[in-house]
Amino acid sequence: MSNATATVTAVEPKSWGGGRSPFNVSYGKMMMWFFLLSDAFTFGAFLISYGTTRFFSAVWPDPNQVFKSYPFGNNLPLLFVSFMTFVLIMSSVTMVLAVHAGHYGDKKAVVKWMLWTIVGGITFLSCQAWEWTHLNHEGGWWGSFTDPNTPVSAFASFFNTHKVTAQALSAHGLQATHDFFNYFFTITGFHGFHVFSGVCLNVMILVNTVNGTYERRGHYEMVEKCGLYWHFVDLVWVFVFTCFYLL
Amino acid sequence: MSTQHHNAGNVQHLYEGDQSALYSGVMQHHTDINSTESRAQVKRIWKIFWILLVITVVEVVMGMFFSHHMPRALVAFLFLALTLLKAGYIVSVFMHLGDEKKNFLITIMIPLTLFIWFIIAFLSDGFFWLHMNTTSPTRNKQTTEVVQQVHEK
Repeated sequence: MSNATATVTAVEPKSWGGGRSPFNVSYGKMMMWFFLLSDAFTFGAFLISYGTTRFFSAVWPDPNQVFKSYPFGNNLPLLFVSFMTFVLIMSSVTMVLAVHAGHYGDKKAVVKWMLWTIVGGITFLSCQAWEWTHLNHEGGWWGSFTDPNTPVSAFASFFNTHKVTAQALSAHGLQATHDFFNYFFTITGFHGFHVFSGVCLNVMILVNTVNGTYERRGHYEMVEKCGLYWHFVDLVWVFVFTCFYLL
Repeated sequence: MSTQHHNAGNVQHLYEGDQSALYSGVMQHHTDINSTESRAQVKRIWKIFWILLVITVVEVVMGMFFSHHMPRALVAFLFLALTLLKAGYIVSVFMHLGDEKKNFLITIMIPLTLFIWFIIAFLSDGFFWLHMNTTSPTRNKQTTEVVQQVHEK
């Protein structure tokens, strides 16, 4: 028995032979990845459901018409949401720089980049709050546009009238507008809630970093784990951006 | 990337306390943040940022000015290809999945391939539903004409 053990330990232990982590990642980090995998399927289900509804609708609102406003003006489609996308990509960069600083145990740099990441997250949420308020003023909300007596003029501005005929609009426009806003508020709401949770997690990480919790622990893996979550939020936005604003 | 485990001499303490330190050493460095290696990594992060920014600008310009004059299938293909490119950069560089062990990368990626089937199945079902109803006797003539008109445009 002792002979066999000696032989085994003498050679390089096999990856899957037990006693070591074959993936060379900690339990917490691996579970964060698996959580994100499950979350990807939740968001995927939402977006595919949106796509299916869009495919079986005869007409559909045009993003260039729906999202043409920004706080200080009008008629510049996609400008505001491009800014939101930029903010989120930027905050992803500051997050990965915080993770990088953590790898080198540089506490001051972690604090600096975490602060910028939180600023980016709050900016994104503020922009989304403005956009939601604006669309709500235009009549969009969960369960809006259900009254069959709604005049076509109430929702015609959401469509590209060069492509959609008046006849099509009066027959299908109301249902399509209703479906569009239900999906829009559900999906961007679910994403926005993820951003909000991410900001809360980032604040907790920042407080722990400032208090020296990770310095005493000897590593900044918590920054890395929350970083994964934050990048995932950015990743989802890349797909939401394509599905709602571009296609 | 260094593969050494930090705190390796204090394993008993780690089992009793913080387990995350056991296997988290893949990307952990003990060198100075101003070292050449560190600078190269930061440079790569900013390079990816510029790539992501340029792709986004291309997407927005295409969406604002060109996508309405291009064939629908081409627009969808281009936007999806650019989106997947962006997603790839974020996952492999920002989330460091490209720096993990290949086995781990494969474990994460394989379940996601289910999406290929989900998208094909559900979207074609939606498309089928729309056209099934254009031949249905319960759907009026006006609706049928509308669907045909929209798809001709």
